[in-house]
Amino acid sequence: MRRREFVRAVGRAGGLAVGADVFGLAAYLRPPDRLTAASLLVPMDDAQSDHLKAYGVTYRVIQAGGKVEWLLNYRGGSFLLPDAPTVRRDAALSGVAVESVDDGQVSAVRGEIAGTNADSVPLEKAPKVAVYVPPNTQPWDDAVTMALQYAGIPFEKLWDPQVLADGLHGFDWLHLHHEDFTGQYSKFFLIYTGAPWLAEMVRFNDAARRQLGFSSVPAMKKAVARTIHDYVAGGGFLFAMCTATETIDLALAAHDVDIAASFADGTPADPNADQKLDWSQTFAFTSAHVEADPQIASFSDIDGHQVNAGPRRQPLGAFKLFNFSAKIDPVPTMLVQNHREVIPDFYGLTTSFIRERLKPGVTVLADEEGAPWVKYVHGDLGKGTWTFFGGHDPEDPQHQIGDPPTDLSLHPHSPGYRLILNNVLFPAAKKRELKT
Amino acid sequence: MRHRTNNRRIVLLAITLVAAPAAGRAQAISQGFELERQGHADQAATLYFGVLRGEPANLPALLGLERVLTPLGRIAELLPLAEHALTVDTTSAVRSVALRTYTALDMRDSAAALVRRWVAARPGELTPWREWAIALEDRQRFEDARNVLLLGRRTLGTPGALAIELAELGQRTGDWQTAAFEWAGAADASPSQLANAVSQLDDAPLDQRDRVIRSLTISAATPTARRIAAELLLGWGQPDRGWDVLAGTLDPATPEAAMALRRFAARASRSSPGVRRVRGLALARLADLLPGPMGAQARADAARALLDAGDREAARAVLLKLAGDPAAPREALALAQLAMVEGLISDGQLDSAAAGLARLDRDALASGDDRERLRHTLVAAWIRQGQLDKGDQILGADSSVEAAALHGWILLYRGNLKEAIAAFRTAGPYAGDRDATTARTAMLALLEQVDLPESPELGAALLQLARGDSSGAVAALRRAADKLPSGRGRPDVLLVAGRIAARLGAGQEGTAQDLFNEVVQKGGSGAAAPAAELELARILLRRNRPADAVAHLEHLILTYPESAVVPEARRELERAKGAIPRS
Repeated sequence: MRRREFVRAVGRAGGLAVGADVFGLAAYLRPPDRLTAASLLVPMDDAQSDHLKAYGVTYRVIQAGGKVEWLLNYRGGSFLLPDAPTVRRDAALSGVAVESVDDGQVSAVRGEIAGTNADSVPLEKAPKVAVYVPPNTQPWDDAVTMALQYAGIPFEKLWDPQVLADGLHGFDWLHLHHEDFTGQYSKFFLIYTGAPWLAEMVRFNDAARRQLGFSSVPAMKKAVARTIHDYVAGGGFLFAMCTATETIDLALAAHDVDIAASFADGTPADPNADQKLDWSQTFAFTSAHVEADPQIASFSDIDGHQVNAGPRRQPLGAFKLFNFSAKIDPVPTMLVQNHREVIPDFYGLTTSFIRERLKPGVTVLADEEGAPWVKYVHGDLGKGTWTFFGGHDPEDPQHQIGDPPTDLSLHPHSPGYRLILNNVLFPAAKKRELKT
Repeated sequence: MRHRTNNRRIVLLAITLVAAPAAGRAQAISQGFELERQGHADQAATLYFGVLRGEPANLPALLGLERVLTPLGRIAELLPLAEHALTVDTTSAVRSVALRTYTALDMRDSAAALVRRWVAARPGELTPWREWAIALEDRQRFEDARNVLLLGRRTLGTPGALAIELAELGQRTGDWQTAAFEWAGAADASPSQLANAVSQLDDAPLDQRDRVIRSLTISAATPTARRIAAELLLGWGQPDRGWDVLAGTLDPATPEAAMALRRFAARASRSSPGVRRVRGLALARLADLLPGPMGAQARADAARALLDAGDREAARAVLLKLAGDPAAPREALALAQLAMVEGLISDGQLDSAAAGLARLDRDALASGDDRERLRHTLVAAWIRQGQLDKGDQILGADSSVEAAALHGWILLYRGNLKEAIAAFRTAGPYAGDRDATTARTAMLALLEQVDLPESPELGAALLQLARGDSSGAVAALRRAADKLPSGRGRPDVLLVAGRIAARLGAGQEGTAQDLFNEVVQKGGSGAAAPAAELELARILLRRNRPADAVAHLEHLILTYPESAVVPEARRELERAKGAIPRS
């Protein structure tokens, strides 16, 4: 099934499932065991005691073959799980609040969903998750890894050698660690020259380059970006945060142009790079100006906040999630399920995306009102989809290298981390295998 | 078009300036400044040229031209004018303009010849060398600038001459060792430079600081250099080392030594105990150098700083001096007496402390509140020594909440549980600090579980704990628990015993594990069982048995979902599984 068909299927199934049974087809489409036994409602509004672990409990039910429904826009995007001792045990151990609901109560919920901007989406297959991350990275370096680890959602790590050796095959969902796909080590040389971890980063990348036979690290990263692009076009789900969002598009647009400073590849960036970039190859952005000056810690004018670029730096505000029509746009609705509408912003090497740099057709999921930038965007590519979320760590707004790791057990209700986990569960809403 | 008209007007004005009076030229200079401000450097230059045609050594015009011609890349046009100016004016300012022009045009021989003439005309002046070095520094010719300054020093024949210039040049080029050496020389030559030296050297990068200190503390270093080092070390977070360096410069007790102590104490104003301690030490030494009430005040300040830093020994020495000082103000004497009694209590000399307290009461030297606080401290110390009757006696008819709390502990240790509960309730949450309140609340919770009017065994076991015999207390608590009737808090007492054993380290961990196991298995549905299971899981984690720990934690969470320790258990579970970082 192609992605658009999937979206239509999700929307259609969900819409009919809530009772818009004008053609009498609801009973036919309904899974045989749905609504026939008592269920557990996992509320995702303020009644929930651990929003993040709720995703893990739900994931494990799907993984075990249980039928799960995501009740979009109902009590903060609640989940309906089968009532079973194992599920109750898992919820109790995880500190996740569940409510036992009988058939009558489920019917009442469905009635409420039918009459409001809400919907029910079946979650059928636990996505197989891969995280693109250098081998020496601690789990606490990356928000997505932290969220997965905390929620108890299994994942595998892979990096350049695995990606280029067709390692993405078999994975439903790929997250990009805050990688610099321009191959310039995030321009950390400007601030962190001499830091052991930077030397280690350079050593790892250079070893991978030599192992894979590339002339330079930027050349290798371009090939990796291209492979990821093809993975999505073939039906994969991509989620990227922080620098990975901006730099993967720069690497894709610069397939035949040198945009890396000489410290990265031995040659200066092409002074006319802007005119030569091919934006037809990118996911989200277009017509950006590349920051060729190696002395300025910025990649381009895609990022609105320019956290390390001195006077260009913009202060943090708050971003607001868009309210989509659950029955018509189930995919963006899934991605913005939350118990908060307005969320404090947080810095990353790429914090936000200038609205003017977005390609036509990109769906904005969250923005800062009145600001020229947006925070959270989504789009389609071929048979797959991608989602970009600016910033590094939703619970560490000023994140600095060397800061203590975020302990998510102290932020179990984090609305920012919920957005990450929405993305993890989103591929579970497939009707069947998407990738070719 | 307007611009062209403007230009023409300025050229005309410049021509008329040749014959203009001085007032007209001053007005032209003002116009030149305004044009510079507006960014019209070329037009300003035209005006300044005009002024110089009428008055060749007009300094504002020469300086103006230097300012505007440099960014325009036309500095060579200034050369004939500067040289012409020198023929009519040999003041330092005009010479400096010519020197900078030669240097900008890299006319090294001309610059050197000009300086030679200047020095010959004004022997002993620092200005020629300073101006030459600055001109070279502005052209990034740092090594040449250094050579010029050293040549100047040799020519002047004064070892410390141009030290500040050499120091600043060292800083600019990253040669902090030279900077330190030269600043020390400058401060030696002029003590008023000491503050500048410290302030400038304080900016030394982390990796250069050791070199700076070495340079200032070599065996041949002067006291001034060492004092600079002492202040720098203090500012760089090494107060003890700083004090050691300063202390080595205090004999003989000169006015400079007193000044150094005063500066050091003033600089030691941060709140860390280490810094407070050296502040106290510096003030104590300063007090010895100051006469009468000033010395007494410094000593009182020293004692306060040392007490704040927790250095009771040093504080006591200072206070003894203060107590015997007839010039000491009453407030300082009171502080001295109070601190001395506190020190006696800390040392366990309770009879002497009681006598000191009695003297304080008799003389009414300290405030009533201070004396009451000290009395309660003394009672607590008697209790810790097991001298319950003496504690009771000192409390007497004291009806304060602090006294009620102390009385509660005396009753508890005597085994009068019911009366102890009443006393603790009377004390409420307001007696003592937060730790004391928490301890009382925890004990109340235990006593309420035991719910007996008296238990001499339990009281004695808890007193053993209060006296610091933790191992003995574990065994005593176990015996006391065995004597409690069924359903009277036995698991709670065993839990306390287990926690004490667990804190005693690996040697007693087996005992702790046995005690917690017993509570988990026989503790019933009370609060003790889940708390013991959590403690048991922690021991298993410490013993590197995460799977067993996880089993216990899961059992706890699922069996006692309403227990207050479930959130803690959940965090331990997440840590054991690696889901959150270890904090």
